[in-house]
Amino acid sequence: MTRFWLIKFARTVLTLWFVVTFAFVVLRTSGDPVVALLGADAMPDEIEHFRELWGLDQPLFVQYLSYIGQMATGQFGVSLRDSRPVMDIILERLPATVQLGLAAFALAALVGIPAGILAALRRGGWLDRAIMALAVFGFALPNFFLGILLILLFSLTWQILPSSGSGTFRHLIMPAVTLATFTAGTLARFTRSAMLEVLERPYMRAAAAKGVPAWKRVLLHALPNAAIPIVTVIGLNLGQLVAGAIVVETVFAWPGIGRLLVIAVSQRDLAVVQGLVLVIAVTMVLANLMVDLLYGVLDPRIREAAR
Amino acid sequence: MITRRTFAKYSIGTGAATLLMPYSRAMAQGANRPEVTIAVDNLWANLNTINGISTTTRRFFPNIYSHLVERDYIADEQGLSLVPGLATEWTQNGNVWTLKLREGVRFHNGEVMTAEDVAFTLGAERLWGENPFEPRGKTFTAGFVRVEAIDDLTVEIETEREDPYIPGKLTGYIGFVVPKAAYLEMGVDAFGQAPIGTGPYRVTLFRSGDVLEMEAFDDYWDGPPPAAKLTWQIVPEFAGRMAGLVSGEFEFMANIPTDQEAQMASYDGVTVARALAGNYPAFAFNTRPDPEDNPLVDVNLRKAMVQAIDMDAIVQALFGDTTFHPAVPFNFPEYGDFYDPDMVNPLPYDPAAAQALVEASGYDGQPLRWHITRQFYPNYEAAAEIMIEMWRQVGVNVQAVILDNFELVYQRPYHLMNMSMSTDFIPGDPYQPLWLDWGPTASRSTAHWKTWDPSPEYLAAGEEFEQATDFETRKAAYLKLSQAWQDVTPGYYMWKSVYNWAHRSNITFVPRPDGEMRMFGDYLALFS
Repeated sequence: MTRFWLIKFARTVLTLWFVVTFAFVVLRTSGDPVVALLGADAMPDEIEHFRELWGLDQPLFVQYLSYIGQMATGQFGVSLRDSRPVMDIILERLPATVQLGLAAFALAALVGIPAGILAALRRGGWLDRAIMALAVFGFALPNFFLGILLILLFSLTWQILPSSGSGTFRHLIMPAVTLATFTAGTLARFTRSAMLEVLERPYMRAAAAKGVPAWKRVLLHALPNAAIPIVTVIGLNLGQLVAGAIVVETVFAWPGIGRLLVIAVSQRDLAVVQGLVLVIAVTMVLANLMVDLLYGVLDPRIREAAR
Repeated sequence: MITRRTFAKYSIGTGAATLLMPYSRAMAQGANRPEVTIAVDNLWANLNTINGISTTTRRFFPNIYSHLVERDYIADEQGLSLVPGLATEWTQNGNVWTLKLREGVRFHNGEVMTAEDVAFTLGAERLWGENPFEPRGKTFTAGFVRVEAIDDLTVEIETEREDPYIPGKLTGYIGFVVPKAAYLEMGVDAFGQAPIGTGPYRVTLFRSGDVLEMEAFDDYWDGPPPAAKLTWQIVPEFAGRMAGLVSGEFEFMANIPTDQEAQMASYDGVTVARALAGNYPAFAFNTRPDPEDNPLVDVNLRKAMVQAIDMDAIVQALFGDTTFHPAVPFNFPEYGDFYDPDMVNPLPYDPAAAQALVEASGYDGQPLRWHITRQFYPNYEAAAEIMIEMWRQVGVNVQAVILDNFELVYQRPYHLMNMSMSTDFIPGDPYQPLWLDWGPTASRSTAHWKTWDPSPEYLAAGEEFEQATDFETRKAAYLKLSQAWQDVTPGYYMWKSVYNWAHRSNITFVPRPDGEMRMFGDYLALFS
């Protein structure tokens, strides 16, 4: 068991190191941030001044060592745009993204999983076809398009929801629906296929023969056995929620890290981009770790194998 | 924010008679001053007057900071008349300008503004010394040798040579006054996050990627402002800004795509405002042998490409009558007496002449790379498509390379590059576009991506232009300098930029060509 966790930990550290290094090299070699920040008409001595100020005149390897050294002491540098500590900037915006992500995730799970179960139970019927059509629509529709569509309908035409910004529950509705739509569609499809596979198993027929009520068979017998692929999809879709937040936060002016990433990348704010890449990578690694743990909870065979 | 509900509340509270009265200075101190929300596409990372220079900060800076000298766009559409701001008088004696300051002006922290603050604002320590706090200030203070507080309300500015344009320069970013003690105590970075000025609104909250909030500063030297609170909310998506304005969430929005203006104006209760900006999108020819086989080193080819463009037709197609193409470079209407509306265009649209020049250049049809920054200038890519077709018709093969930012645009090899030129550094004088932007210290003649080497004729004429102090000599030097530039033709000015806004129709707003959104004075009347 200890060896299992040690290997997991070593893989996590290696993954994060690789991500940080990759981001560092790509950002440093894909353009000069000083020019991007100062604009088209900056004078050469201004550019030189800021390059020295930010240590960008040093060789790449020296910059890299300095960066890794800083990170080892918990320092993530300061923003090139406003000289504030990177972690302060990220932590200021992280709650908004977490709020949006959780709302979208909950909405997707509450809509997608029951819809998938219902479709499986009514396989081949009009309800199954209707749910699957909606699911395809949900994950095929680009979220920037859906977002703008919702704004035009609910804010411009009917004027019942605020068009952008944050602060109240009403502000959360359209961004959360937009972000949740893709995941809900995906979950519905995967839940349906996982349930169909389980519903045809012999133990389900045995339960029916024993007179177990239908709701009990679905919720206590079928769903736990179909949960592994659903949990896997949920884990994978956490990454999709982060990626989707970049677009959705921009469309709805939601002040989270998705929008911060867009601004930081376009302005070549290296320290902030690197900090964000690290935060997102840690989120993904933790999400995968939680999925691994859930496998153990859901399936005793996996728990036993890990011992 | 004014909503339908609060609008009704204000109406009842103030009585029917005031419904038709603009929310003017006289009423500004009333308890029912409205709050105003402005949806903008961007703010900026810091609000320092110089390190924070950008089109987006210019919009709101005058609400925080006051200028030493003001341009009056109410009395004069071109803003060529200068009026007192924080400085009430300015006099020149040789190389020295003396500014007399307004008495009793208070900063937002309650401190009274003194000559020490102004001397620090314009001084070496902040702008032009060895390691200044805001190094970009060097560009705007060229020639400064001394800035000194003589007494509490008198400041002297000494320049290395006689400079008649100091008052004009003080209408720009360097003329925004900051409090010395607070600035030094906070440091430049912290000051940029929580700025203190003498303007009509005090910053209460600034989150650079999200929102900027200001409240009325009733000790403002020109009287209390009309709004109780201003909220500058970033809404990157145009659809969001439009929906918010139409539904009454916002009172103002900035930046409307040109092709959406008519749609915007069609909504009830919405008014679209425009101003021709002191800025011209352009492109530069790479006139240097870098790459070695660059055919644009031949002036014939450059002039051919200019004569192949029917820019009047392009501007009409893309902007309608909103703006215009300046036929002769630097002959801009905002230059007052320098402007000659009858000046003859030496390189008019003439495809036959263009074709002859292409042949004279010996151009062999090799592709020319035109580096363009993605969606940076409105309608630029659309214009580029048309121009490329016009060039193709005279035998010139140009390929547009659309890139994500200027740093990529600057990477060689390239043959043409997008850029823009501002014209308002000195009101009514072509110094900036003609000399500051193309001269021997300009980035386009010194940077690693430089597009040209100024010719000896241009440099000599520029020297004359810089030293000329009386109008007649300066105008003669300007014509000579402009001619020297046109002889080389290192670039091409396309059209005058347009700033646009939309606001609720119950607001009277005077737009300015410098893009400033002044939420006070004669520029704004809110109806309660």
